[in-house]
Amino acid sequence: MTTAQTKTKAQADWEPRIVAFCCNWCSYAGADLAGTSRIQYPTNARIIRVNCTGRIDAEFILSALDKGADGVLVSGCHPGDCHYTSGNLKLRARWAFMEEAVKQAGIDPRRIRLQWASASEAQIFADGVAKLIEQVREVGPIGRSWK
Amino acid sequence: MADPVPIAMGQGSSCWGCFQSLVDIHLRLADVLPALDIKYWQAVADFKLHHLESYGDKSIVVGLYEGMARTEEDIHLLKLMREKCQIMIAFGSCSCFGGIPGLANQYDIEECYDVKFRENKTVKGGKVPSENLPGIASVVKPNTDYIDFDIFLPGCPPTSDLIFTAVSALLSGQPIDLPPHAVCHYCNREKKETPVEKILRPYEGIADPDRCLLEQGYICVGSSTWGLCEGQCVNKGATCRGCFGPTPPITQDHGAASISMLGSYAPLETEEIRQQVKDPLGTFWRVDYPTSHLGRMRIRREEAKEK
Repeated sequence: MTTAQTKTKAQADWEPRIVAFCCNWCSYAGADLAGTSRIQYPTNARIIRVNCTGRIDAEFILSALDKGADGVLVSGCHPGDCHYTSGNLKLRARWAFMEEAVKQAGIDPRRIRLQWASASEAQIFADGVAKLIEQVREVGPIGRSWK
Repeated sequence: MADPVPIAMGQGSSCWGCFQSLVDIHLRLADVLPALDIKYWQAVADFKLHHLESYGDKSIVVGLYEGMARTEEDIHLLKLMREKCQIMIAFGSCSCFGGIPGLANQYDIEECYDVKFRENKTVKGGKVPSENLPGIASVVKPNTDYIDFDIFLPGCPPTSDLIFTAVSALLSGQPIDLPPHAVCHYCNREKKETPVEKILRPYEGIADPDRCLLEQGYICVGSSTWGLCEGQCVNKGATCRGCFGPTPPITQDHGAASISMLGSYAPLETEEIRQQVKDPLGTFWRVDYPTSHLGRMRIRREEAKEK
């Protein structure tokens, strides 16, 4: 009985937990600008800085979901603008392979989001985070069905 | 010669191809068989389960388990083997990672019943059989969720040479020392390290017999796959499908590693990739879906449904 009650409480208080991978040169700077410009956006995203989105292995994203993140955001430079010329194109290709596999495995694809936001696009970054959180709220906690 | 080593060989849900591969060590069987005291092997001798049950705990030195465990009978056999054997070997990719039968986890058990029994193309008004059959688990769990193994010998099937090397090492008391290289290490094709210009389906175009298949556009996951096969397929002209699972440490997510490799090799437009890769889950996680991150999530979800 006690466990049932705590569970209900935990679900009522549930806030999506998002892992956001941001590239150092565009989106991390964009997130920084969003902060200094005092743009309001949800605080659910935990940002992890990577040097380039090309560094992001598909395993990072799948492992984050497996370990209980409700959603994963990947934010990088616009195609063509990569600091290392083509890192983001590599991530884009990985994403194409992975997104379909995620659907096949029965994970709601609304839990993952890929976006491009340059260092000056603080608003786009903040909107992207808000959009993902909205999507994740629709789908619910990732562990709800198996806890 | 030393006394024969007691050995038990069990099969779960599988195609029994791994034991076929064991028998394929052919004339060398003459060296291996006298050193073995076969205590249980359904595939070739008339042993019953109660024979295995009657042996003392840990009385058998080596146990080989082939296949995954989906029926209650498989799960019972798997646990029984662990009780009776001192050294348990996960024999073949199904036993190590869930294998091809593990791909059934893409669907829940009812969908599987529909395809197999109810809506089967060759049957009208089919029903799910229930009499005289062991119960079936709702989801394929990797064997490592049920018991601990001492040795993993992946492969679909493990090659006869690999089995011979492993069994001989085991019989002589030596450690089994397997080379950690990926399939590419054994591939004789020329690699120019050029990016993939267009992904090709296996039936498209005619492949250059001397160049890396991946660089020509055919999806080959050799670079993320353990090369215990010594590159048989790639050297004969077929792409690697990843049947030996990830390179050591074999707990890696093989499919994710393949995808990351392909992203670097083929930085193409999203639409183009979607059109040319029809079944990414089956392509990249062909033999190890149940042990991957995606597979783990699916297993937890199906288990929660039961509660």
